[in-house]
Amino acid sequence: MEVLIFIVSGTLAAATALIFAAMGELVAEKSGVLNLGIEGMMAIGAAMGFVALTLSGSYTVGFLAAAVLGCLLSLVHAVLTLVFRADQTASGLAIGILGLGLSSAIGKSYEGRTVAGLPELDLGPLSDIPIIGQMFFQQDIMVYLSFVLVFATWYVLTRTKLGLVIRAIGESPENAHALGLKVRLIRAGCVGFGGAMAGIGGAYMSTAYTPLWAEGMIAGRGWIVVALTVFGTWIVPRVAFGAYLFGSMSLLELSIQAFGWNIPSQAMSVMPYVVTIIMLAVISRNLAFIRLNSPASLGAVLKI
Amino acid sequence: MKRRNVLLSLAAASTLALPAFAQDQLKIGFVYPSPVADVGWSAELNAGRLAIEEAFGDQVETFFVENVPEGPDAARIINQMAAQGADMIMLGSFGYMNDGISLAEQRPDLTFIHASGYLLADNFSNFQSRNYETSYLVGMAAADVTETNTVGIVAAFAIPEVVGMINGFTLGIQAVNPDVTVKVVWLNSWFDPPKAQESARALMAQDSDVIYSLYQDTPSVVTVAEEEGVWVINTSSDMKEYAPNWLLASQIADWSSFFVNSAQATIDGTFEGEAFWGGFVDDTVDVLSWSSSISPETMTMIKEAEAAMRAGEFHPLTGPVMDQDGTERLASGEVIDDVAMAGIDWLVTGVETRIPQ
Repeated sequence: MEVLIFIVSGTLAAATALIFAAMGELVAEKSGVLNLGIEGMMAIGAAMGFVALTLSGSYTVGFLAAAVLGCLLSLVHAVLTLVFRADQTASGLAIGILGLGLSSAIGKSYEGRTVAGLPELDLGPLSDIPIIGQMFFQQDIMVYLSFVLVFATWYVLTRTKLGLVIRAIGESPENAHALGLKVRLIRAGCVGFGGAMAGIGGAYMSTAYTPLWAEGMIAGRGWIVVALTVFGTWIVPRVAFGAYLFGSMSLLELSIQAFGWNIPSQAMSVMPYVVTIIMLAVISRNLAFIRLNSPASLGAVLKI
Repeated sequence: MKRRNVLLSLAAASTLALPAFAQDQLKIGFVYPSPVADVGWSAELNAGRLAIEEAFGDQVETFFVENVPEGPDAARIINQMAAQGADMIMLGSFGYMNDGISLAEQRPDLTFIHASGYLLADNFSNFQSRNYETSYLVGMAAADVTETNTVGIVAAFAIPEVVGMINGFTLGIQAVNPDVTVKVVWLNSWFDPPKAQESARALMAQDSDVIYSLYQDTPSVVTVAEEEGVWVINTSSDMKEYAPNWLLASQIADWSSFFVNSAQATIDGTFEGEAFWGGFVDDTVDVLSWSSSISPETMTMIKEAEAAMRAGEFHPLTGPVMDQDGTERLASGEVIDDVAMAGIDWLVTGVETRIPQ
C-alpha cells in the first residue's frame, strides 16, 4: 500500500513539470511552430525560478520570473522563424542550446544549493482521508494548477474562437492570412505561451519537485515533452495521459528495483519510454485521424 | 553521460588567460568535469588544488578550467594548458584519459595525474581512493540506527568502485547486525537529481530507514531524507548543512597529500608514474560528521575498525565472504587482493538487488 501511495502521489508530482511544458508546446505546435528548444527553456526556467525564489523568498516571484524568461527565450525563436523565416528545426535546436548555456550562467553561483520546496496545499479534511488523501490531496498548488491548465488548454483549443483561429493558422497560414488573421502575431503569442509554460515547468523542477539547482538537472525532460506532443497526436487529453503514464512508469521502475525483483535494471530504465510510446501509438493508431489532428503547416517556413 | 554545457566551457576556455609567471614557479593546471560548487566531486579535487597552494605558496601557480566535457573539448583544453606553460596537469575525470596519455607521450617534460583511470606512463599517474574502507564504517553505523532492518542504496552505475563500496558497506552492516536487508536502486545515469530523489522515495516507501547516497553529486537525496526524517549517508563531500538532523555520516576523499607529493616530485624531478590507490593508511579517505545518535558501543567498534585500517591490519573484504548466490568467494581469513578488488563484479550475500548484467 505504501508503494501504491508512493507511485500515485509521486506520479502527480512527477508529471506536473511535463504537463506545463507539454501544454505550452502543444499550443505552439497547433499554431504551426515546432519548438525544439523546450529543454533549454525548461533549464532556464529552472535556473531563474531557483535564483528568484532564493533572492525574493516568494514562490510566486520565482515562477513568474521563470515564465518571463522562458517566454523571452521562446520569442527569440518566434522572431527567427516568423520574421526572418529561419528553419524551425534548426532555430529550435540552437535556442535550446542557448537556453542550456544561459541556465548555467544564471545558476552559476547557486550550483548545488538547495531551498525549501513548495509546501503542500492544506486541503483540510480532504488531506486527512486515509490513502486517497495521501494519494491526491497532499500535493502542492502547482499540481492542481496543472489540472486546470490541461482543462483550459483543451477548452480554449476546441471550444473557443481563439482556438479555432490558432488551429486555422496551424493548418494553413496562407489562407488564414488571406482571411485577415494576424498570423505572425498569433503564432508569436502561442510560441511565447509555450516558452512561459516550459519556464514554469522548469521552475517546478528546481523549486518544488527537487528543490535544488544543479546544471543539467532537466536531464532530457524537455525532449520527452516534444515526444509526448507528437505521440499524443496533438490532442490535449492524450498528451496529458502520456505525461502521467510516463511519470508513473518511471516511478514504477524504481519501485520494482527496490523490491529486489530480478529484472535487469537497464531494461527497467527504458521501460517508461517504451511503454509510453507503445500506449500512445496504440490509442493513436488511426492514421487518417492523426493526419486530421496534425497541424498541416507544422515545421514549414512561412510563405506570407 | 553528464549533460554539460558546451557554450560555457567554450567561453571558459577562450577566456583562460594565464598570469605572467616567474621563471622558477611550477605551473599546475586542473581540469574539472563539473562546476566547482560548494560540494561534490570537483569541489573535492579543488580542495586538493588549494592544499598545493597552501603547501608551496609562491613556488607554484595553479589555475583551473571547470565543467569540461569529455571528448574534443577536453583534448583542446588540455593541450592549451600545455601550450600555455603548465608543468603539471591534473585531469579530473575518467574520460580525459586518452587525450591526457597522448599528450603525455608527446610532452615527456610535463607530469600528469589522472583521476580514476587505469593507464600509466613514466610521467602519467592515476589516482583513486579506497572508499570501500569508509563504506564499511558507515555501514556499521547504518546497522546501528536502522529500526526496520532495511537499508536502501541509490547508486549510479555498477562500476567496480561502486560495487566494492556496496560490498564494504554491507559487510560493515553485517558486522553489527546480520539481519539487515540491503536494497539498491541503480539509476543507470551519472547525473539526474530528480531521478535520484525519486529513487530515495521509492526505497523509503519500501521500509528503508537509512538511505546511502552513493556518488550523487548534488544534495538531492540528502535533502529528501532530511525532509522525510530518514537517516542518510553521503559520498564525496560532507553534506551536514543539507541534513543537519538526519545525516548519519559523510564519506570523503582527501587528495591533499597525493597532490602535494606529486607536485613536490615534479619540482624535484623525481616524478614517476604510479597507480595511487589511497586509503586510511595514507590519510586519503575519511568519514566526517558522525551523527551523535549512533550508540556508543557501535561507535567504539567503528573506531576500532578505523584504527585497524589506518594501521593496515584490516581489510573489509576478509573471508569468509559469500556472494549473492551463496558461492564462497573468500575463504575464512583470506583477504581480497588489489587486482580482484579493482575489478570486482559480484555483490555479497545480504544485498537483495542484483548487479545489472
